[in-house]
Amino acid sequence: MMWRRLIRAEIRKLTTTRMPWGFFAVLVAIGGINAALVMFATEADGSKAFIATAEDQQSLVAFAANAFIIAGLFGTIAVASEYGHGTVVPMFLASPRRHQAMLAQFTAVFVGGGVLSAIGAGLLIATVAAALPTTEYGFLMSAGDVTRVVAGSTITGALGAVFGAGVGAMLRSTGGAAVATILILVVAPPLIAQAATGTGDWMPGTIANVLVGVGDDVSLLAAIAALFAWASVPAALGLFSVQRRDVV
Amino acid sequence: MTDISTVDAGPLLPAQGSGRPSYQIEIEHLTKRYGRRAVVDDLTFTVQPGRVTGFLGPNGSGKSTTMKILLGLASATEGKATIGGQFYRDLRDPAGTVGVLIEQDSFHPGRSGRDHLQILSDVAGVGAARVSEILSLVGLKGDDARRHVGTYSLGMRQRLSLAAALLCDPPVLVLDEPGNGLDPQGVRTLRNLLRARAANGDTVLVSSHALAEAEHLVDDLVVIDQGRLVTTGSMHDLRQAASLVRTTSPTQLRDILETAGAVATLQGTDSLIVSGLPIDEIGERAFAAGIVVHELSTHAGSLEDLFLAWTGGRVTDEALSGGDEVMHL
Repeated sequence: MMWRRLIRAEIRKLTTTRMPWGFFAVLVAIGGINAALVMFATEADGSKAFIATAEDQQSLVAFAANAFIIAGLFGTIAVASEYGHGTVVPMFLASPRRHQAMLAQFTAVFVGGGVLSAIGAGLLIATVAAALPTTEYGFLMSAGDVTRVVAGSTITGALGAVFGAGVGAMLRSTGGAAVATILILVVAPPLIAQAATGTGDWMPGTIANVLVGVGDDVSLLAAIAALFAWASVPAALGLFSVQRRDVV
Repeated sequence: MTDISTVDAGPLLPAQGSGRPSYQIEIEHLTKRYGRRAVVDDLTFTVQPGRVTGFLGPNGSGKSTTMKILLGLASATEGKATIGGQFYRDLRDPAGTVGVLIEQDSFHPGRSGRDHLQILSDVAGVGAARVSEILSLVGLKGDDARRHVGTYSLGMRQRLSLAAALLCDPPVLVLDEPGNGLDPQGVRTLRNLLRARAANGDTVLVSSHALAEAEHLVDDLVVIDQGRLVTTGSMHDLRQAASLVRTTSPTQLRDILETAGAVATLQGTDSLIVSGLPIDEIGERAFAAGIVVHELSTHAGSLEDLFLAWTGGRVTDEALSGGDEVMHL
């Protein structure tokens, strides 16, 4: 019963500020950029080969790698801003067993990140599909491809939000946590992949692409497990640090 | 705009009934150190149900830290702080047991007042009707409740904090500077509310550095300074606990009495206010030192006088003036 109450409260927190609308605006912008690419971009030879096949179109709308980053920032801001605004105080007063409050928060951002990413993938597919009639190509993706992209993006975004929530719980400063999330998810992976051979297959972007069917560097199950691990480590560290820390 | 000052405190009173439990707050040898610095130092006192207990001390004396430890927001280095014999985190229904006003600004500025309370009610399992009721009772209804908290005045924020503290009609109230931002009538309504709750058997702990506010509100006092307990007891007893000495050698007598453990404050050119030493002993020590005493009497001073004596005069102008409690909404 308590869990249900906590999760309901956390979801209400996410839906009663303008933050989700800000992220929705970003998704609309990404959809618009992709539609513009379909309409106006060409290959070097002047062709539109990048949308010529179903695989090409699936690659174009493969939102999962972006979903992990965007939902990661969503989770980061949702949790770190609790400290910035002091709303963590009523949260821990209402639920003094902090691990319960934090797990409820992780659950809420998991749901929020998943929904946001599903919307992002859906928007991307819809805008590309809407833009394709302006070219000589039609929408070639099968229903199965579309389902794979939306489902893969949803799972990736949900786990990305948990990743970000863990970073936010550890660092508490919204700006600092957001920068850390970007550094870890955008800047660090290519550097690590270059420094340590074989690690590139396990970076979030690569495994996210496996989930949406545009990569085969690892198996689907291994990709899900790896993404789960990416989300779990900061979440566990955040949970641990929140237990020990004074709220002052 | 309706505000708390125009609201009758009656509807904010606790539910009557024989089943309402009472809780004693116990602070036992509580110490909190940051590095080598002790912000709370071996603090021990109790807060009785059915009484309004004022928790006084200069700014930075450790009041808020003590409250945060009591509420599980900070950990104690040593000692413990319990409510009804239990740590806050171990209470079966913390939100329903203790109403808290601890941080002046624990709101998301982009969230409405109603949504802020609704989130708390979600966790506490309180219905939406109670949210509407409590918002109305503190004078935040209609458009005010729907507005973002970022647009609220200090007084409106304080009223929202009070609404959150009273949301579950708890038998224990722990309030840190609850009068901040309220206008004089709001302060009076708050005072009536807290006194009525205490009369009903509730436990009320109120920290304040606004002495004028505390003087009219509290039954018992706990005074701390630099993290240490200075004095505790009933307001009535403490007011009688000081002595006035009129003498030809106030400085010399002060030194003698302070050596004996008293707190002595010079008043004018020929008087001392002395606490912490029985009046007989003051006379005997003056006599033994050959100091002429023109007057030795019980001093029922104002809380301000007592506070100055207890804290060695280290008190801010803000405290003496009553702080910002008189800010209009």
